[in-house]
Amino acid sequence: MTLSVTGLSEIRAGRTILHPTSLEIEPRGRIGLVGSSGSGKSTLGHALIDDLRAQGCSVAHVPQSPDEALDPLRSMAFHWREAEVALGLVPGSADQAGLFRALRIEGGDLRKRPWGWSRGMQQRFVIAMALIGSPDLIVLDEPTSALDPIVAAATMDLLSGFPDGKDTAMILITHDLGLAARRVARLLVMQAGRVVEEGRTADILDRPQTSAARALSAHRNWIALPC
Amino acid sequence: MLTVTDLVVKRGARATLDGISLSVPAAGTLAVVGESGAGKSTLIAAILGLLKPATGVITWNGAPVRAARPALVMQEPRAAFNPALSLRRSVMEPIAAQGITLAEGRLERLCAGLELPLDLLDRRPAQVSIGQAQRAGILRALIAAPPLVLFDEPLSALDAVTQKHTARLIAEVQAEEGFAALIVTHDLGYAVAHGDRIMVLKDGQVEETADAQTFALSPRSPYCRALRDAAISLGALGAAA
Amino acid sequence: MITAIGGVLLRAVVVLSGTAILTFALLWHAPGDPAQAIAMARFDALLSDDVIDQVRQEVGLNTGFWQAFWAWLGPLLRLDFGYSAVTGRPVWPDLWAAMTYTFPLALAGLAIGLALSLPLAILATKRPGGLLDRAAVAIASLGAAIPAYWLGLLLILLFAVQLGLLPAMGARTPAHAILPAVTLGLGVAASLTRIIRSGILEARGQPFLPALRRRGVAGQAVARDHVAPHAAIPVVTLFGLELAFLLEGAVLVEVIFGRPGLGTFLVTAITARDFPHVQAVVVLTALVFVLVNLATDIFYRVIDPRIGAEDA
Repeated sequence: MTLSVTGLSEIRAGRTILHPTSLEIEPRGRIGLVGSSGSGKSTLGHALIDDLRAQGCSVAHVPQSPDEALDPLRSMAFHWREAEVALGLVPGSADQAGLFRALRIEGGDLRKRPWGWSRGMQQRFVIAMALIGSPDLIVLDEPTSALDPIVAAATMDLLSGFPDGKDTAMILITHDLGLAARRVARLLVMQAGRVVEEGRTADILDRPQTSAARALSAHRNWIALPC
Repeated sequence: MLTVTDLVVKRGARATLDGISLSVPAAGTLAVVGESGAGKSTLIAAILGLLKPATGVITWNGAPVRAARPALVMQEPRAAFNPALSLRRSVMEPIAAQGITLAEGRLERLCAGLELPLDLLDRRPAQVSIGQAQRAGILRALIAAPPLVLFDEPLSALDAVTQKHTARLIAEVQAEEGFAALIVTHDLGYAVAHGDRIMVLKDGQVEETADAQTFALSPRSPYCRALRDAAISLGALGAAA
Repeated sequence: MITAIGGVLLRAVVVLSGTAILTFALLWHAPGDPAQAIAMARFDALLSDDVIDQVRQEVGLNTGFWQAFWAWLGPLLRLDFGYSAVTGRPVWPDLWAAMTYTFPLALAGLAIGLALSLPLAILATKRPGGLLDRAAVAIASLGAAIPAYWLGLLLILLFAVQLGLLPAMGARTPAHAILPAVTLGLGVAASLTRIIRSGILEARGQPFLPALRRRGVAGQAVARDHVAPHAAIPVVTLFGLELAFLLEGAVLVEVIFGRPGLGTFLVTAITARDFPHVQAVVVLTALVFVLVNLATDIFYRVIDPRIGAEDA
């Protein structure tokens, strides 16, 4: 089922931080929302989630850091159960074992509070929670910024593989085009609250049209390794 | 030249740094790479004299490193400045603290090199962009012309494009000022692009030290290979064509 | 958890010993002759030196400081509070009687305070910065500034004298406790309102709350499971302190309302240099504080095990 939003905008304190934007997301779609800080990508992400939810679609959201997703006073098991209930599922009915396996969450004591787990495991747990109930769309907001590189790379790889057999679409919000480049089929480049360029990833990487896209593309690596 | 020999730092019974040795020549750059908990921040604290090592010697040109008055650029610009003071006052603090006089035109020259408009210094940290605030932090570190500057994840708070830009400015200013730089980062791409040599820390020990090119092409240990592959996967390093 | 409780108990012992020594020393060195004060209190008249010396010997004040202290401490450790230096009666029954006037009043005051402050704070935080919120803060600040005795007198004037609804003084019937309980309760409500309000506002600022809402967790569940526990931490601290304070007997309120509680007991004992009485109250108070702190400590660790943990 193709998800579609139209005319999303946001005005704060009299300023337009997101100009009217419309978007279509096909099932299993992998879309990257890239831009520098202040470009409006997180705002678009949030507006997207709220609008799609209002339309009745199931949308999951993975924030930047586990601190923004988990209550340090509550156990992991509590969070999981709470997420199930929030989605209208019977507690215990989600495929926890399968999700944990797919995201390599091993050996974690669910009775512990979040700070008893490593940050990498916390973040993968948050992603697993987001995937309960096979949402129509999962939105990841800078998913690697709070993680060490090895764990971050592994998590992103797991995400690319998952979810197989389901129609879950994925939107990756990031300021790092290098991160998005290998993992999304379509790119939306944002600047100053507007989507200034849109297209297939390879096209934008090789032939960026706008200044924003050019800057992002030119700076997507630190250095290219010689062959 | 900064020389660290057999540095051991203990916290209780555990060694957060267990026998670290490194050297950074004048005007050179050593990138210290590692994951969280590897001991990178402890290393910086030890060099700055903020904690007492159990054993080990840290010297600058043979004398205790304190003599070099090493400066520090921190990760979070907003946390590194007193929010109530103007940037100018914060930037000038090292001058006042060390009781030296500022050479004529030095402030203007450094500001130009770091692309900081002079009038920006009269603002407070919250009133400038995060990139500008970080560059002000670098300005503060350089104002007293220290021969050694330590950088603790100087780019982590910035977005991708700003990171590259700021890194370039740091390199340019380093070429001008000639200070030795020790840069702590978890971003291997940054380390390879801007470091002369790379040292990988793991669990308080040196996993590998090599010059940047060699490391990027053929890291020796499996852990370092995993780091390099992760950097490629995350787009920090462009894959070999 | 065991080591934690052990630590608290050890601290308790230190606090109690230190309090005992300090109080004894203060009384010992207080201006005037303790023996004379005791004698006067006993016989209600100025007396000759022989009588005073006799009292001095009897109470053990002619020995050195430490001897007198140990003479008192020994029985105390056997939970024998000894006898009043003034009346010669055993301390414990009189102490207990005073407690029966003070403890129920304290609990009633706390209950009233909580019943007033909790709804007010919750309503106020529904719209932070709004009219009700600012009014609540203003009233609470005013309440904290108003002395309890002035408020008590005002209430007596209004309800007992003018309206004739409630009894003014004494402690004969439960109805006599209403006005003093309200006086205390209003004071408690004033401080509790502020802290509950700021606790709620701060708990609402926790970084993970927007994500919870976006995850679809119902607003009520968020408030109950994520805001309330965090907000409870500072509230419980203050609650414990207020409880301890009220349990030791708010002297001024007792005097105004003529209730023979712990506060009056203590003041009378100090004036009369009645060492055993004073010590008994001090020990009781210290014990109350220690128990309240222990309960608060345990409460914290249940809610947030990070508190007190080594590498949080």
